[in-house]
Amino acid sequence: MSTPAAALADRVRAGPPARRWDGYRIALWTYASVFFVFLYGPLVMIVCLSFNDSRIIGFPWRGFTTKWYEAVAQSEPLLAALANSLYVGAVAAVIATTLALLLALAFRHEFRGKRLVLYLIITPIIIPGIVGGIVLLIFFGYLGVRPSLFTTVLVAHVNWVLPFAFLTLYPRLHRFDRTLEEAAMDLGARDWQVFREIVFPIVRPGLVATAAFAFSLSFDEFIRTVFTVGAERTIPVQFYVLIVEELSPELPAMAVVVVLLTIVTSLAGFLFLRRADARA
Amino acid sequence: MSTAPTLARDDAVTVKPVGRPAWLLAPGIAWLFLFMIVPVGFMVVVSFWSSGYFGTQPDFTPKNYLKLFQSPLYTGQLLKTLRIGLEATLLSLVLSYPIAYFLSRASGTAKAILVLLLFLPFWASYVVRAFVWLPILGRNGVINSTLMSMGVIDTPIDGLLYNEGAVLVGLVYVYTLFMTLPIYMSIERIDKRLIEAATDLGARPFAVFREILLPLSWPGIVSGCIMVFLLTMSAYVTPQLLGGPKGIMYGNIIASQFLGNNDWAFGSALSVALVAIVMILFLLVGRRMKVEQVFTGGA
Repeated sequence: MSTPAAALADRVRAGPPARRWDGYRIALWTYASVFFVFLYGPLVMIVCLSFNDSRIIGFPWRGFTTKWYEAVAQSEPLLAALANSLYVGAVAAVIATTLALLLALAFRHEFRGKRLVLYLIITPIIIPGIVGGIVLLIFFGYLGVRPSLFTTVLVAHVNWVLPFAFLTLYPRLHRFDRTLEEAAMDLGARDWQVFREIVFPIVRPGLVATAAFAFSLSFDEFIRTVFTVGAERTIPVQFYVLIVEELSPELPAMAVVVVLLTIVTSLAGFLFLRRADARA
Repeated sequence: MSTAPTLARDDAVTVKPVGRPAWLLAPGIAWLFLFMIVPVGFMVVVSFWSSGYFGTQPDFTPKNYLKLFQSPLYTGQLLKTLRIGLEATLLSLVLSYPIAYFLSRASGTAKAILVLLLFLPFWASYVVRAFVWLPILGRNGVINSTLMSMGVIDTPIDGLLYNEGAVLVGLVYVYTLFMTLPIYMSIERIDKRLIEAATDLGARPFAVFREILLPLSWPGIVSGCIMVFLLTMSAYVTPQLLGGPKGIMYGNIIASQFLGNNDWAFGSALSVALVAIVMILFLLVGRRMKVEQVFTGGA
């Protein structure tokens, strides 16, 4: 027979009385299932439709085909848009990560107007996306800069990803062990040497992760791009134009491809970030 | 002030971090000033210009703002957009809270998988996530063809798409994560022993929710609501694809001034009004919370 103390310990270990929660737990699980069906249902649906041998996007089911995927793979505009998205995403990620790194290094110091600078950095997230595109449309329009991938679109993308790059990088730069950096400075190393030999190697995993994250944000950017885009469309813009101009039958297949691409880029960013944090 | 000798390095601020702040700040500030602040300022200027058949001319007239606030068409659209924004926010809150709580109660691998499952659809391009509702709600869509094959209806229902309801569904689908995530993060920070203690002391689930969960997850709720409200206020793609003439929102009206009507001055005034609404919202919240906390779920 157990002692009262042991019985009490058992009860504590068993946690809160479970029975009273059971009804709620069932309700919670049921609700969670419904929620995940709501999240995934439409995506599963679009995968099904992408294999449907029908010129109308929808049901009834008219047989299995992969011809829409073949159409997508041979679509010149889509491949061109993919290349554009990759280029602008890579350049925007590098510029934004570099600017964010410098800003984050500055934020390790105390300086006047720090709060104001922080507000400035997060302005592009606070300004609604549609306005973020329009201000550049007007600005470049009056400057006479023709909309193109590496002028207007690039600026729009750097604006958009810079705050996220900073918010990702700053905490990771703030908490690293400064012993080596201080030792190097005590020993008379110059700023540039300290940065190149010590700070940069320490923060490099975080930089790679930030750049990957920035790339994924740029890759999926639509609203700022649509107001700054010229002839060279990005993937989301190309997809949108195809929906609006002609509801072409290969849209579901293209949607699946776009979803896979965006998920892969985002997942890569996420994994890089996880790995960088695990190392730190 | 402590005079006792200490070994804690942080107290000795003898060695400053690498670099000079002025030089480090310069490129980023220059970029944001040139490509963000100046363009926004210029848009405010243009909102006082006048657009006509010959393009947009420098001027100093309040007529664009008068047009916005005196025409029932535009005030009506603004109010409608505010209403849809509020509806989408409340709907997301009600849908997200139980899920956030559900995720926080899971543990180990199951939790990691569930969180990933929650993220995954939101990593998919949001143009696609708005688009998927077309073949679901459309005339030949999944709902109609299912109902017809089941014999529930004889002719397709047209009313599923191109109205406010469709827009609301689309907005919630596209933006719910921005509610779920901050709430989840704030529930995660709650000391689970508080809930156990309350339960042990006989608190019913609703009391636990009201007395512990709700007050302690409040920062997450606030930041989720702000994010979803802001995103829906400036929504463009979702109402454009799913709304039809009945479901268009303020963002579509702004866009049409630039992509169709070429009335840049009026479009600028409409944009300034939208930014003003956003700023007012942040000022109201800013008294209780730092602005950057809005993006980190109150952390």
